[in-house]
Amino acid sequence: MSMQMALPIAMIPGNSVIHRINPLAKIVWVVGYIALAFSTQNVFLLYGMALFAFLLAPIAGVTKPLLKGALILVPVASSLLAIQIIAPAVEKPWTHVADIGVLQLYGDGLYYGFVLLGRVVSCLLMALIMVMTTHPSDLFTSLSKLKIPYAFNFMLAMTLQLIPVFQREVGIIMSAQKSRGMKGRGFAAVLPSFVPVFVGAIERVQQLSISLESRGFGSNGFKTSYRQVKVRPSDWVIGIIGALLLATLVTVSIMRGLWSVSSLVVFPHIFVFWLFIVAAGTFAAIILATLIYAFKK
Amino acid sequence: MSDPIIRFDDVTFTYAATDEPALHSISLDIQAGEYVAILGLNGAGKTTLGLCVNGVIPTMLGGNLEGKVTVAGLDVSEYPVREMAKIVGMVFDNPEFQMSQMSVAEEVALGLENAGVPYEDMKRIIPETLELVGLAGFEERSPLGLSGGQQQRLAIAAVLAMQPQVLIMDEPTSNLDPIGKQEVFDMAAKLNRERGMTVIVIEHEVEVMARYADRVIVLDSGRVVMNGTPQEIFSQVDALGELKLRVPEAARLAQLLAKQELWSGPVPIRTESAVEAVNELLGAHNV
Ligand SMILES: Nc1ncnc2c1ncn2[C@@H]1O[C@H](COP(=O)(O)OP(=O)(O)OP(=O)(O)O)[C@@H](O)[C@H]1O
Ligand SMILES: [Mg+2]
Repeated sequence: MSMQMALPIAMIPGNSVIHRINPLAKIVWVVGYIALAFSTQNVFLLYGMALFAFLLAPIAGVTKPLLKGALILVPVASSLLAIQIIAPAVEKPWTHVADIGVLQLYGDGLYYGFVLLGRVVSCLLMALIMVMTTHPSDLFTSLSKLKIPYAFNFMLAMTLQLIPVFQREVGIIMSAQKSRGMKGRGFAAVLPSFVPVFVGAIERVQQLSISLESRGFGSNGFKTSYRQVKVRPSDWVIGIIGALLLATLVTVSIMRGLWSVSSLVVFPHIFVFWLFIVAAGTFAAIILATLIYAFKK
Repeated sequence: MSDPIIRFDDVTFTYAATDEPALHSISLDIQAGEYVAILGLNGAGKTTLGLCVNGVIPTMLGGNLEGKVTVAGLDVSEYPVREMAKIVGMVFDNPEFQMSQMSVAEEVALGLENAGVPYEDMKRIIPETLELVGLAGFEERSPLGLSGGQQQRLAIAAVLAMQPQVLIMDEPTSNLDPIGKQEVFDMAAKLNRERGMTVIVIEHEVEVMARYADRVIVLDSGRVVMNGTPQEIFSQVDALGELKLRVPEAARLAQLLAKQELWSGPVPIRTESAVEAVNELLGAHNV
């Protein structure tokens, strides 16, 4: 089994156009995405952003790992939508749509639910694309060129440096558990591995930070970089286009009062009903599967 | 005599959450350019002693340090480890826990980057250092994908590249095959001779230490119980035996021969000198 499967958030080596973009230009896009996602309530814009980020995946050749990484969205999306249907986060009065036993379903919160989800999905996809196509050292090198506070940079670098270590560790522990007869795939199989990994991780983090500091990591003086990160004209173009485009959209959004288009979007009652069934069902199934798996051990 | 590069002045150290000190009233001087071997059973305090020199104790690991450790004139407790790193390089005993980068070259580069070594120099130093530890051509490999012995070599390279004045190696060859061990100690001896690097090796292999070290320090339950030249230390076969430590085979042979009254004179600590001496002995007995 590939170790990538366990923790699919590390760099996927490659030489695609996306890989070659300067980390700072990518950061512009990620930061712009976050800024735009949180300054708009326009679902078309939000899911358009998500779609754009998703379309970058095949170009970068990271579709599969991206989808795996995005699996985390399943519990998030299902719980978020189900909760918005039974307890809308908007002012009353609510329009009653249907009943399921004692539960009363409403459609009023759904638009807001899709906005929240759109924010999470678009930002997560863009961030994953960036992490998967950027060498951690390049990112660190680029960040230290900006005047990012050192402590933040240090933590980020430590975290990024630990990801491959953890990945390997999870892989080793998973195969150890398999060889002891534990079965299972996907999420349920990964879950029990995390306990030993995190226990081991504490000691490892301490040892590693001792080793890093003993090589001067964290010192304040002038530093150089072994990896030379190039800034090409195309990086400027990508960065500037990203900054302009996203800044424009942020401005438009704010000027239009977050640009909510909820009046254009009507959810038929039958849609709300079935959406709730699917969302609540999915979430319940995930919880149940996790519990069963945990107690069987 | 010039000031020692390392001085322990009545140092007692107790780890946090323990009662028994891991080091007891240690006073030691180590001169610049010495090659020192530290011997002792598991738990004797060897690693702890090393951590006191590079400053991990007391600045990174909590606990109670009494007395004073001075390295190159600096009171270690007053400088963060990352500053001490300019003087002291330490290779720790678990190589895998020292790997953090995505490629071998970057692993070696890490210390150089932090020291602000220019890129052009790094491009020269990294392959040179990898060559020195027998990892030439491994630049682009992932450190986590190396064998235990290769990781140990890489951990050494990562520290050596920084050209520290003091090099501490904590059981640096436990995963290496016999030839590999010899290569590492030869390399350290060369650096010691040619660049005057002070070398401190924590090592269980007495044969190796008898050959390379200028001085042997024996720790037992956190105390320095012996401190002298390899000749002085390893000829005390009975005393080492009482400490449950190994002695070089040559010394043991001499000891056995002496019990049979077949041997008198200095105790050899190297196999070659034992062979020579036994030859003489055989000659004397007309065998
Ligand atoms: N982080 C720690 N916290 C508490 N006690 C510790 C810690 N590290 C070591 N000790 C204790 O300090 C004593 C000396 O340990 P140290 O690691 O220095 O021994 P050592 O001579 O290096 O042994 P080994 O040959 O096993 O590496 C031991 O009794 C050990 O249990
Ligand atoms: Mg030790």
